[in-house]
Amino acid sequence: MKYEFADMRQKIIFSGLVITGLIICCLTGCKKKISTADSAFYYWKTTLLLDKPQADLLKGAADNQLYVRLFDVIWDEQKSDVRPNAIISINQDVSQFHIVPVIYITNKTFEKLSPDQTGPLAEKVNRLINEITAQNKISYQRVQIDCDWTTGTKNRYFAFLKTFKELNKKQLEATIRLHQIKYADRTGVPPVDKGLLMFYNMGKISANLKQRNSIYNTTDAAKYVKYLPLYQLPLDIALPLFSWAIQIREGKVIQLYGKIGQQELSDRANFQQTAQSNVYKANKSFYLSGVYIKENDVFKLETVNQKLLDQAAYQLSKHLAHLEKRNIIYYELSTNAAAALKAEDIKEVSAHF
Amino acid sequence: MVACGDGGYYDDYELSSFAPEAFVNSNYSPFFFTSSTTYYNGYNLDDSNTHYSQLVVNEWASWFDGQIDTTSLKALIITAGVGNIDSASRYYKGKLNVLPVGLPDLKNSKADRRKVSAFFDYLILAKECESYAVGPGDYWSYEKTPVKEVPQALENTLLKAVDAAKDPFIKQRLWFQMVRYYYFKQRQHAAGPVKTDVPLPAYFAKEEASFPKNMMYYRTLGYLAGYYYQKGEYAQANYLYSLCYNYSFEMKIPSRWSFHPQNEKDWTATLNLAKDGAEKITLWHMLGTSRDEARAIKEIYAIDPKSEKLDLLLSRLVNEREMGGQPLKDTSSSNQAKRLETAKERALVNKIANEDKTQKPYYWNMAAGYLNALSGNYPVARTFYGKARKQLPARDTLVMAQYKLLDWLLYIQQLKRIDAKTEAAMVEPLNWLNSLSKNKKSIPNLRFQSAIGQSMTILSDLYKKQGDVLKAYFFHPEIGFYNSNDRIEAAKALLNKKNKTAFEQSMLNYYSINVGQLSYLQAILLVYQEKLDEAIVHMKEADTVNRSVMYANPFNINIKDCHDCDFEADKDKKHFTVLGFLEALKTIKGDLAAGKNVSRNAALLANAYYNITHYGNARVFYYSATVTDSYGDSPSAIPMPYRRIVTDSKVAEKYYLIARANAASKELKAKYTYMAAKCERNEIYNAQYNNPGKDRKYSWQFDFSNIPTGKYFAELKAQYSQTRYYQEILNECGYFKKYVSKKH
Repeated sequence: MKYEFADMRQKIIFSGLVITGLIICCLTGCKKKISTADSAFYYWKTTLLLDKPQADLLKGAADNQLYVRLFDVIWDEQKSDVRPNAIISINQDVSQFHIVPVIYITNKTFEKLSPDQTGPLAEKVNRLINEITAQNKISYQRVQIDCDWTTGTKNRYFAFLKTFKELNKKQLEATIRLHQIKYADRTGVPPVDKGLLMFYNMGKISANLKQRNSIYNTTDAAKYVKYLPLYQLPLDIALPLFSWAIQIREGKVIQLYGKIGQQELSDRANFQQTAQSNVYKANKSFYLSGVYIKENDVFKLETVNQKLLDQAAYQLSKHLAHLEKRNIIYYELSTNAAAALKAEDIKEVSAHF
Repeated sequence: MVACGDGGYYDDYELSSFAPEAFVNSNYSPFFFTSSTTYYNGYNLDDSNTHYSQLVVNEWASWFDGQIDTTSLKALIITAGVGNIDSASRYYKGKLNVLPVGLPDLKNSKADRRKVSAFFDYLILAKECESYAVGPGDYWSYEKTPVKEVPQALENTLLKAVDAAKDPFIKQRLWFQMVRYYYFKQRQHAAGPVKTDVPLPAYFAKEEASFPKNMMYYRTLGYLAGYYYQKGEYAQANYLYSLCYNYSFEMKIPSRWSFHPQNEKDWTATLNLAKDGAEKITLWHMLGTSRDEARAIKEIYAIDPKSEKLDLLLSRLVNEREMGGQPLKDTSSSNQAKRLETAKERALVNKIANEDKTQKPYYWNMAAGYLNALSGNYPVARTFYGKARKQLPARDTLVMAQYKLLDWLLYIQQLKRIDAKTEAAMVEPLNWLNSLSKNKKSIPNLRFQSAIGQSMTILSDLYKKQGDVLKAYFFHPEIGFYNSNDRIEAAKALLNKKNKTAFEQSMLNYYSINVGQLSYLQAILLVYQEKLDEAIVHMKEADTVNRSVMYANPFNINIKDCHDCDFEADKDKKHFTVLGFLEALKTIKGDLAAGKNVSRNAALLANAYYNITHYGNARVFYYSATVTDSYGDSPSAIPMPYRRIVTDSKVAEKYYLIARANAASKELKAKYTYMAAKCERNEIYNAQYNNPGKDRKYSWQFDFSNIPTGKYFAELKAQYSQTRYYQEILNECGYFKKYVSKKH
C-alpha cells in the first residue's frame, strides 16, 4: 500500500516536471536544452598507471574526474569467509585527479554472509578504503558501492549500506542495474544518497550469432527505460565504452575477452571472417595473449563506438527527469574503445543529459 | 573485463558414469575433470605460505634419521619466530638457561649434536628470509608497496653460508634460499622505478650440478622459472614449470597454475627447449588440460603411445564429452560444430584403441566404446567393449565394476523389447546396482548414480511402449499413473503379492512407495467425492500415514482463514488424526441424513470440507498423500488433477447453504452466508490459478487487485446488515468493508 502511494506521488511529480518542461520549452523555443551534465571515467584495472593518451582523454573529456575501483569483496569458498580481492596498486601520482572510490562486492558475498556479519564487513571495507586513500594521498567526497543484489540479498546488502554510511560519513552511491529499475518493488531501492544507473549489459550474451549486441541495443533498452521515471533515487549514468569478443565453442559461450579485439581478429593467419562481419573463426589451435584458442572456435565481436553511444544517450535522456550536474561516467578509461574516441566525442554524448 | 558466468552447479559424480580413478594414476587426480571447481576432489591451490610445510618437516626428520620427532620439528621450522629460534639455539648450545615456553627441548634427543647445531644455524637464517618470502596473512591489510624490502646485507651472508656449508643437505637448502633471495630481489626491482638485474640464472647454473635432482632442486628451479616469467621470458618460464610439474605430486598444482603460454611464438619456443620426447610429452600434456585434450593426445601418442601422460587426457576428454551432452540423431545446424568435434574425437580414440599400442589397451577400448555409445553408435561401442573384456585386469575391482557398468548401460540402450528372458538376465545387474545405491556394497569412486537414473528411464519407457503400464510405473513412478483407481489397485496387488518373481523383487527394490501411501491417496480422493464408507476402508489400510495429526480442529471455522492462528488456538487441545477425523465426519453425515440437528451438522460438514481444501486449516489432509507431490503455499505448486480437487470449495458451499436454510436464527444465517461467500471467493482465485494461459507464471504475476465479490456479499449487505455477525465481518474482513463502502 505504501508503495502504491509513493508511486502515485512520484507519478504526479513527474507529470509536473514534464508539464513544466513543456512550458519552459515553449517559452525558449525548444531549440536545444543546455546540458549541465559532467563527464567522468571509470578505471577498473588492478594497476593504476595511465599512459599519455589516457591521461589526456581523462583531462580533456572529464576534467580529471575518475571513479576508481579500489578492490573487490568476494566470498572465499575455501575459507568460508569474506575477503577483499584484487586490491589496486596505484603506481603514479594521482593528486591532480578527483577520485571517487568504487568497491565491487559480489552478490554471493551477501548470499553467504549472515545478517550479523554485515556490520563488521562495513567496518572492514571502510577501514580498507581509508587506508588505501590515505597512503596514496587521495581525498574523496563520496564512495560508490557496486553490487548486483537480488531480492534474496536485499536485506543484508541494504543493512551493510546503512552501517557503511554511518561509519564513512561521506556521500554514498550505489550502482543500479536495469533489472533493479524494472523490478524495483521487489528488489527495493538501496538506502543511499544517489544511484548510478548502469546503462549497459542489457542483452543476452549468447552463442547465437544473430543475437543483438549484448552491451547495448535499443530494443532491449526499450524494455527498461519506461520504468526510469518511477525510480526513487536521483540517478547518475554509466555508459559503456568497451568492446569484447565472445569466444564460442561447439555452440556454447566459453568466455569473454576485452583483450581480443578487431586488430587481433583481423589477422588472417589466425582467423577468417565469416559471412557475418563481426564474427570470426579460428583457423587453427594456438595461444594468443595468454588465451588458448581452439581450431574452429568462433569469436563474436561486440563493440561500442561513438554512434552507438550517441544513440544510447539519446534514448536514455528522453526518459530521465532533469537533474542538475548529473555525472555521466564512461566504462572504462583503459579500453581500446576509449582510446578510439576524442574528448570532444565524449562531451557531445554527455550533452544529451 | 569480467564475465559473470554464474553457470549451473553440477555434481559430476551424479551425472557421470566414467570414473577417472579407474584408469589414471592418482598423482594426476587434482586435474581430473570437474565442471564447477578448479581442482578435483577438494584439492586447491593451497595458501602458498604453507603448501610445502609438511614436506619440509619430513625431509628434516629423515635427515635426522628419525631421532627428532616431527611434532618438535614442526614447532621449530613452521611455527616459531626468528627470536624464539635464536633462544632455542642458544639454550641447546648451553648459552641460555631457560627455554622459551612452547618450544621443544632437543637436549635429550639422540640426534647428532653437530647436526642439531647446523640445523639451528640454518633455521635462524631461513627465518630471516621469511621477512620477504612469506606473504601477509591478513587479507584486509593494505600496504602501498606490497612487495617487501629484501635486505641488502643478506646477499653476502647467504653467499658465504652456501660456501661454508659442508653438509650437502644444508648446503642445498642454503642454495635454495640464495636463489629465492634473488627472485624476490628481482620482484622488488620490477615494482620499483630502477630496473636492475639480479644474477639469478648464473648463480643457479654455477651450483646446480653439485646437487641431486630432488624436491629441493625442483623447488629452486621453480624460482628460476618465476624469474623468467617476471621478465616476460615465457618460453623459458613455461619450460621450467613443466619440469617441476613432472617431478612430483606436490609440485603439480603450483606448476600447472603458473604455466601460462602467452602467444604461439613463445609456446613453439617452449617446445623447442624440450630436450627429448618425454619433456615434449609433459608440455603437450599441460596444454591438453587447457581443454584441448584431443590435440595433445594426438601429439603424445605420436611420440610415445605408452606414455602415462595420455591417461589423464583421455579421462578428461570422456568426462567433458559426457557432461557436454550429445544429441543422438541431431542434424540441426546449431549443433553442427559439436557433431564435427565429437566425430573427430571418436575417430582419434577409435584409432588408438584399434592399434593396441598403449599401456592399458582395455582403457582405450572402454573409452572408445563409451564415446561411441554416447553418440548412439551402439554396435561400434559393443565391438570395443568386446575387445576390452578380454584385456581386463581381473583383480582390479574398480576397473571390473566400471566395465560392468558401461556394459550394462549399453545393454539397456540397445534393448528393443523386454521379454521373460531379458527380465531374467537383468535380475543380477539390477540387484548389483541397487546394492551399490543402498550402500550394501561399496566400490569406492565408481560413478553409478547416473546409470541408475538412465536405467529407470529407459526400462520404464520400454515397458510403456510395450503397454505394460504397471512395470513402467514401478521403474519410474509418474503422477499420471494414479488417475486410474484400477491401476492403483494393480500396483497394490503386486506389492502385496506373496511369491514375487526374482525380477519383480529386483524391480521393486528401486520402488520406494508403500501400499499405505497408495491407499491413503485412494481414501482422500473418495472423501472429496463424499464416499465416506469406502474412504474409511482405504484409510484403515493406510497404516501410519492415517495417524497424521491435524493441528487445528477441522470442524471449526473463523471469519479469516489463518492457519497459524487456528494452530495456536488449538495447540493445547486433543488433535484429530486423519483417520479419527474421517470417522467423526462419517458420524456427522449419518446424523444429518437421519435429520438430526440438520443446520448444525450441515455446518460441521461444511467446515470440514472447507478446511480440507487448500484454503482451510487442514492442508495436512492432502499434503499427507505424498505421491501427489502436492506441497506448496500456492495452488500453482500443486500438480493437476489434484489442484482442482483440493482447491474446490463446492461441497463446502453446498453444506453451508443447507445449514443456512435450516438455521434457527438470523445471526446463524448471516454466518453461513458469509462462509458461502468465502467458498465463492475461492472459486474466483481458482479460476486464476487454473487458467491454462497462466501455467508458467509466478504467483506475483496473478492479478488479485480486484476484490473478489459475488452474490453472497450482496445477500449479506441486503439482508443481514442488522445482525451482530455482520458487524464482526465488517471489523475483520477488509474486502467486505471495502465492498460495503462502495456504491452498488
